[in-house]
Amino acid sequence: MEKSGSVDSLGSKQSSSRQPSVDSLSSSSTSRSDRSSQAKPPSAISSDSVSVSDSPLSPEQLRSNIRNKPVPKVFRDSHKDEPQLLTKETVQDMAKDVTYICPFIGALRGTLTVTNYRLFFKCMDRDAGTVLDIPLGVLSRVEKIGAATSRGEVSYGIICKDIRNLRFVHKQPEDTLKKSIFENLMKYAFPVSNGLPLFACEYDQVFPENGWKVYDALAEYKRQGLPNESWRISKVNDHYELCDTYPSTLVVPVTIPDEELKRVSAFRAKGRIPVLSWIHPESQATITRCSQPMVGVNGKRSKEDEKLLQAIMDANAQSHKLFIFDVRPSVNAAANKMKGGGYESEDAYQNAELVFLDIHNLHVMRESLRKLKEVVYPNIDEAHWLSNLESTHWLEHIKSILAGALRIADKVESGKTSVVVHCSDGWDRTAQLTSLAMLMLDAHYRTIRGFQVLLEKEWLSFGHRFQLRIGHGDKNHTDADRSPVFLQFIDCVWQMTRQFPAAFEFNEYFLITILDHLYSCLFGTFMCNSEQQRLKEELPKKTVSLWSLINSQLEEFSNPLYVNYSSHVLFPVVSMRHLELWVGYYIRWNPRMRPQEPLHQRYKELLAKRAELQKRVEELQREVANRAASSSERAGSPTRSITPVQTFV
Amino acid sequence: MFSVKPLKPTFKSYLPPVQTDLKKSPQLTIRKLEAKLLPGEIVVNEANFVRKCIGTESSQDDLWGKLICTNFKVSFITHNSLPQQNFKYVHRLLGEHDVPLACVEQVVTVNDAKGKQKVLGSNKKLKFNPTELILYCKDFRILRFRFDQAGPESAKKVCLAIAHYSQPADPQLLFGFEYAGSRYYNSSGERVNGVDPGGGHQTPMFDRPSDWDREIKRTGASEWRVCSINEGYLVSPSLPECFVVPASLADQDLKQYACSFTGQRIPLWCWSHPNGSALVRMSSISDPQQQRKLDQRISSAITKSHPQRSDVLKSDLDKQLPNIQEVQAALAKLRQVCVIEPFEESEEKWLSSLESSRWMDYVRAFLRHAVEIVYMLEGKHTSVILLEEEDRDLSCVVSCLVQLMLDPHCRSLLGFQGLVQREWVMAGHRFLDRCNHLRKNDKEESPLFLLFLDCVWQLLNQYPSAFEFTETYLTVLSDSVWIPVFSTFLFNCPKQRAEHSRDFARSKSIPLGQEQVLRFPPVWDWSQQFSPKDQTLFNNPLYVGKSATYVQNGAVKTFKRTKQKSYSSTLRGLPLALRNGQLSDLDTLPRRNSLVLRLPTAAEPQGLLLPQLLPSHLTLWRLYFLRWVPEARIPRGGPVTAFHKLSLLVDEIHTLQSHLRHYSTSNSSFTLTSTPSGLPPPAPSPAPSPLPPGPGLALSPPSNTPHRPQSLSRSPPDHHQQRQGRMYFRAPLSTPAGPGASIPTSSSCPAPDYLSSSFPFSPVGNLCRRGLLGTPLSKLLSGARIWLSTETLANETL
Repeated sequence: MEKSGSVDSLGSKQSSSRQPSVDSLSSSSTSRSDRSSQAKPPSAISSDSVSVSDSPLSPEQLRSNIRNKPVPKVFRDSHKDEPQLLTKETVQDMAKDVTYICPFIGALRGTLTVTNYRLFFKCMDRDAGTVLDIPLGVLSRVEKIGAATSRGEVSYGIICKDIRNLRFVHKQPEDTLKKSIFENLMKYAFPVSNGLPLFACEYDQVFPENGWKVYDALAEYKRQGLPNESWRISKVNDHYELCDTYPSTLVVPVTIPDEELKRVSAFRAKGRIPVLSWIHPESQATITRCSQPMVGVNGKRSKEDEKLLQAIMDANAQSHKLFIFDVRPSVNAAANKMKGGGYESEDAYQNAELVFLDIHNLHVMRESLRKLKEVVYPNIDEAHWLSNLESTHWLEHIKSILAGALRIADKVESGKTSVVVHCSDGWDRTAQLTSLAMLMLDAHYRTIRGFQVLLEKEWLSFGHRFQLRIGHGDKNHTDADRSPVFLQFIDCVWQMTRQFPAAFEFNEYFLITILDHLYSCLFGTFMCNSEQQRLKEELPKKTVSLWSLINSQLEEFSNPLYVNYSSHVLFPVVSMRHLELWVGYYIRWNPRMRPQEPLHQRYKELLAKRAELQKRVEELQREVANRAASSSERAGSPTRSITPVQTFV
Repeated sequence: MFSVKPLKPTFKSYLPPVQTDLKKSPQLTIRKLEAKLLPGEIVVNEANFVRKCIGTESSQDDLWGKLICTNFKVSFITHNSLPQQNFKYVHRLLGEHDVPLACVEQVVTVNDAKGKQKVLGSNKKLKFNPTELILYCKDFRILRFRFDQAGPESAKKVCLAIAHYSQPADPQLLFGFEYAGSRYYNSSGERVNGVDPGGGHQTPMFDRPSDWDREIKRTGASEWRVCSINEGYLVSPSLPECFVVPASLADQDLKQYACSFTGQRIPLWCWSHPNGSALVRMSSISDPQQQRKLDQRISSAITKSHPQRSDVLKSDLDKQLPNIQEVQAALAKLRQVCVIEPFEESEEKWLSSLESSRWMDYVRAFLRHAVEIVYMLEGKHTSVILLEEEDRDLSCVVSCLVQLMLDPHCRSLLGFQGLVQREWVMAGHRFLDRCNHLRKNDKEESPLFLLFLDCVWQLLNQYPSAFEFTETYLTVLSDSVWIPVFSTFLFNCPKQRAEHSRDFARSKSIPLGQEQVLRFPPVWDWSQQFSPKDQTLFNNPLYVGKSATYVQNGAVKTFKRTKQKSYSSTLRGLPLALRNGQLSDLDTLPRRNSLVLRLPTAAEPQGLLLPQLLPSHLTLWRLYFLRWVPEARIPRGGPVTAFHKLSLLVDEIHTLQSHLRHYSTSNSSFTLTSTPSGLPPPAPSPAPSPLPPGPGLALSPPSNTPHRPQSLSRSPPDHHQQRQGRMYFRAPLSTPAGPGASIPTSSSCPAPDYLSSSFPFSPVGNLCRRGLLGTPLSKLLSGARIWLSTETLANETL
C-alpha cells in the first residue's frame, strides 16, 4: 500500500534539499553508450539521499532523527552551500557559474564542487534550494558533448548507474594549462582507472556496531542445524585452493572426502563444486549450488561428480530423486558445450531430473535495463506507458526469475526433494535463485539481520563478482561484464514485499539504501569479486561495512507491519497481474513522483497511541488499587470526586 | 467431458444414506434442498442433480445440488460445502452460491456432445438439451453448471427461465418491487411501508429541503438557497424535488429559464469551497436563441453568490472526457483480459492488453479533470460550472471526485454515502439505463459508477488513511448495484421512482400511507445485506478522522499541523503536473489555510487530497477485477495482511480506551489528582457529522486539548457495544491480574490462514473458464509429469 515516492518531496519546505537531479544527456548519446546504467542513488548517504529515498519517514523527521544519533557525519546538511564533508573527504575542485541542465526544471546556474567522494552542485540563482549531491561511485560515464560554443562553453554529460543522467555546461578555463573541473571529476570518479584508491578505503567513520561481524558462516550453518549426520563442514577450501571464488567454509555430504571434492572441482566450471546452501529443517531437503559441469561436445563424465550428486540425494531420506535446475534457457546450455561446458545428462545422473528455468543471461538483462531507463527517464510517455514498459521486458525477466525461485522453493517445501541449482559459472543467476528461494522458505532471511546474512552468504561469500558487474571506479563503461544482476534480485525482493506486506522485517527504504550503496563506494561491503579478494585487500580492516550504518539505526529500516511467523513459507503469485514496476526506485528522480502518504508512519502513530493508553490504564489500575487500600484504612472519609479523571476517548 | 464422469458423487451417492466416499456422511440426514426465499420471491423453475463446477481442472471438488431460478436470483443449493473455505462472508439476501438475476450478463448453454453452444436471450428457443450452463456475470464472475445427471427437460427449462427472467420487460418486474411490496404486508405497524423510516442508517437522502439546508450550512454557502419549484416534478422530470440555486435567482426566473435547458434541468449547486467558490453542474442550453442571454444570467448569478464576485469557469465535460460508450467498451475489454482469456495466454501481453482496454486511461482522465477543477476552485478561487449535454453522467463522476479531493467530510462513510446520494441518485443518474437492468438498449449501458468507484479506490490507494472506509466497502457497494432491491440503483431519477412505486402499489392494491410511495430500502441500509460484524469490514483502521496524533521522534504530537503541511505539499506537486509555465502563483497556494480557517465545521487535518496522476502511479484495482481469478489469488498475502495487523492494533486501542472509560465511571468516587505527565486527556473531537467515531477519530490531540469533563456525558456508556468493536479483526484478550481488566495483545497474533488477496471474496467456484486448467502453482510446475511423480515418490517414502 505504501508507495513511497522518493524524490525529495516537492512539498517539503523550500529549504529541504531538492534533488531535482537529473537531467538527461541528449538522448542519442544516452542510448549510445549507457549500457551499464543502473539504478541507484548514491545519495542515500547524504541528507538528500535521505529525502530522495522512499523512506516512510519524512525527510525532516529522518534528518532530525539522525542528528540526535551518533552517526552524524554521514548525513549532511544540505542547507549549506557547500557539502558537509565526511571524514577523510576533501574538496578537490570547485567551479562557479556552472549550469546544470535539469530535464524537469530547466537550466540552473550554480556552484559545482568535486571532492574525492562526491559531486555537489548547489544552485545559486532561481530555485535556490536545488542541490545535487551524488557520490562519484554512481557515475558510469562522464564525457564532453560537442565542441565549445562561441562563448567558450563546453557541455558535459554524465550517465549515472542509478537511472538518471546529468548534464552540465560551463566555461572552459582560459588558461589552457589549467584542468577544467570536469577533467578533475573524471579523475576522481574513476579512481581505479587513475591509480587512486576508492573512497571506501579512506572513509573511517566509526559506528556503534561493526557490520563486518554480521555474518559468520559457521554460526549460520549452525542455525540451520549443520553439521549433522549427513552433512559436514569441509576445510578443503580453507586457503581457496579448491576454488578461489568460493568461501572458505563449505558444507558437503559426509560421505564425500575432500580428495574426491578436489576431483569434482576439475569437472565443474571454475572449480565451483556442488555445495550446500540451505537445508530444510524438517524434511532435510537441501538447496545446493554449483557451476555447470564441463561436459563439452564429447559428453565427458566424472565419476566423482556423479557420486557427489548421488550423495546429495541420499542425504535426504524423503525422496529418491534429485532435481537439477539449470537456470539457463536450454539453447544456451547446449551452446555452452562448444565451450567445454554444458549440462548434466540424464544417463550419467540416474535419478536426477534436469529442468531448464529459461532465464536469460546478463547481456540480455543489461539491455533490458537500458531500455527501461529510456522509458522512465526523464519523462514518461503517458499514452503508452504500459506498452512501453512491456517492450523493455524488464518485468518479464523479473517474473522468470521469481518463477524459477518459486519452483525451487516448491520442490523443496512441497516435494521434499533436494535440488541442485546452477547456471554457467554459478555466481549470477544461481545466486539470484538460491537466495530468493531461501527467502521464500526461511523466515529468518526476512528479518533485517537475516537478510544481511543472506546477502553476505549467497552473494558475497559465494563470489558474485560485484566489482566486475558494477565496475566500481572503473571508467570502462562499455565493459560487457557489467550487468544489473543484483538490482534484479533486490527488485524481486521488493515484489515479494508487495505481495506479503507483513512478512518482512525491513522496509522499502532498506532495499533502496542497499542499492544506493551498491554504487556509492562509501562502504567496503560490495567491493571486490570474492571472499578471497576481500580478505586479501583486508576490506574488513580498511573499510566500513554498510551493515554498520544500517544496524546503527534499525528503526529507519524496519517495517512496522512485520509479523514474525517463524515457519511461514511464502509462495508469491508470479504473474504480471501482480508484478509492478518499482516506481519508488526507478522513477524517483522525477519531481512529479512525490511520496505518497506513508502507511508506516500512521502505524507508528497508532503504536505510540497504544503505548500511551496502556501506560494510562496501568497507572489507573495502580492508582485504584492504592486508593482502595488507603480508603479502607481511613474509612469514612470519602471524598467525592470533583474532577473525575477525564477519560473520554 | 462425459468421459470424466465424477467418481465420487454419483447419482446414487447423492442420495443420502450410504455415502462412503463422502467424509462427513455419517451425520448426514435427509434434508430437502429448498431455496431460501425472500419476501415476494417465488421459484420459477428448478433442476435437480446439477453439478456446480468448482475446479476447472477436475470434477473432483464439484458440488452437487439443485439449481433454482427464482424471480430474484439464480440459486444453487447443496449439502456439500466448498473445499478449503473456512471463512464466510454471509450475505443476508444471497446464499453462498447465489447470483441475482440482475447480475447475469450472459447466459450460455452448451451441449458438448453435439458441439453446440447458444447464447440465450429472453424468450429465445433452445433446440438442444443443454449439458452445461455458463453464466457470465456483471461482477466478473463466471459460473458453470453441468447437467450430466439432471433431467434434460428440467435442465432446459431452468436455463430458459434464467435467460428469460434475467431480462425483465418492465421495470416493475424487477424484484425490488415485489420485495418492497411484500415487506409492506409483512411489516408491523411500527414501520412505515415495511422499512424503518430512518432505515437504520443515518445517510442523508437529500429528498428533503432540510438535508440541503444542512449541507449549505456545512459548507458555508451562504449565498445559496434551497429551491422547491420542482415539487411534484412539475418543472423538470429528471431533477429532484428540491435542490440548491444561487440566492439571487428567484423561483419565477428559474421556472422561466428551465424550459431552455436540456431536460428542463436548472443548473444545480454541488458544493462550495470555504473560499466561496462554488461547484455547479449544468445541462446544455437547448434553445440557441436563449443561449447567450441565459449563459450570462446564470454566470452572473453564480458570480453574485461568490464572496469575491470572482469569475465563473465553464468546463465542458463532453469535450474533454470519454463518453459513456467508450467507458463501456473499455470495461468489456478489461473483462476480456481479466477473466475471459485463459490466464497464461493473457500473461504475456498483460500490460499492453491492459493499456489497450483504455480503462486505466479513463480513470486517469477523470481524476485529472477533477484535479484541474480543484485547482480552479482552490487555487484560483473561481467558481466552476460542469457542463454536460444532459448533466446526468460525466458530471456525477467529476463532481464527486472534486468534492472528495477538497472536502474531508466526503471521505467519511456517511459523507461519502451522502455524496453519492446527492450527485448520483438525486441528480438523476440513469441507473436503470446504465445498468441495463431491462436489457432494452445496450447502447445506454455504461459502468460509469464503477469507473467512479475505481477513481475513489485510486485515491484510497494513494492516501490510505484519508478515508473512513476500505476497498472492501467500495467493492461491496459496486456489487450492490446488481441487487435490484435498493432504491439507490433501480431508477433513472427520483420522479421515476415515485411514479413506478405508486403505480405498482396501486396495481397490487397495496394501501400506502400518506406518502403514496412504496419505500425501497436504500443501499445505505447495510443491515439489509450484512450483519453488524460483517459491516465492520468497511472500517478503515488507518482512518485519520477529525484529529489524531502522530509521532515524531518518539514524541506524540498533534496531527494537525504537519498533516496540513504534508497535504499542502501535495498541492505543490500540482504546478508541475499542470505545468506549462502559466501557473506561476501556485507556489503560494499551500500556505493558505483557508479550509481550516474559514470553515470550522469542515476543518480536518487533511484538507486537500490530490492524486498522483502519472500512469505509473495508477494501478489496477486488483481486489475488484481479479478477486474471482484463482490464479491471481495470493494465499496468505495481499494488502489484507497489513489490514489485519492494523485492525488488531486499532482494536487494542479501542479496548484500552474502553478500560479507561470504565475506570473513570467506576472510580468516580476517587479524586485523581495527578494525571500522568504528558498524558493527554483524550477529548472528543467536535464531529460535524453524527457519525460514530471512527478509529482515527478517537485519537485526539494529546497536549493542547483542555480537559473537558462535560464530554463525559456525551460518551456512550455501554461497554458492550464497545466490546463489539469497530474492527473486523479483533485482538485476542489476555487477562492480566486486576479485576475486569483485560488487555489485548496483538503483537504476536498471526494472520488467519484464510486471508488472501481476494479476501473477503473467494474465487473458489466463482470463476470457471472452460477448458482452463489449474492454479498458477500447478501450472508453473508444469513439468507436471515430473511434479506428480515426485509427489508419488514422496508419498511412497513416507
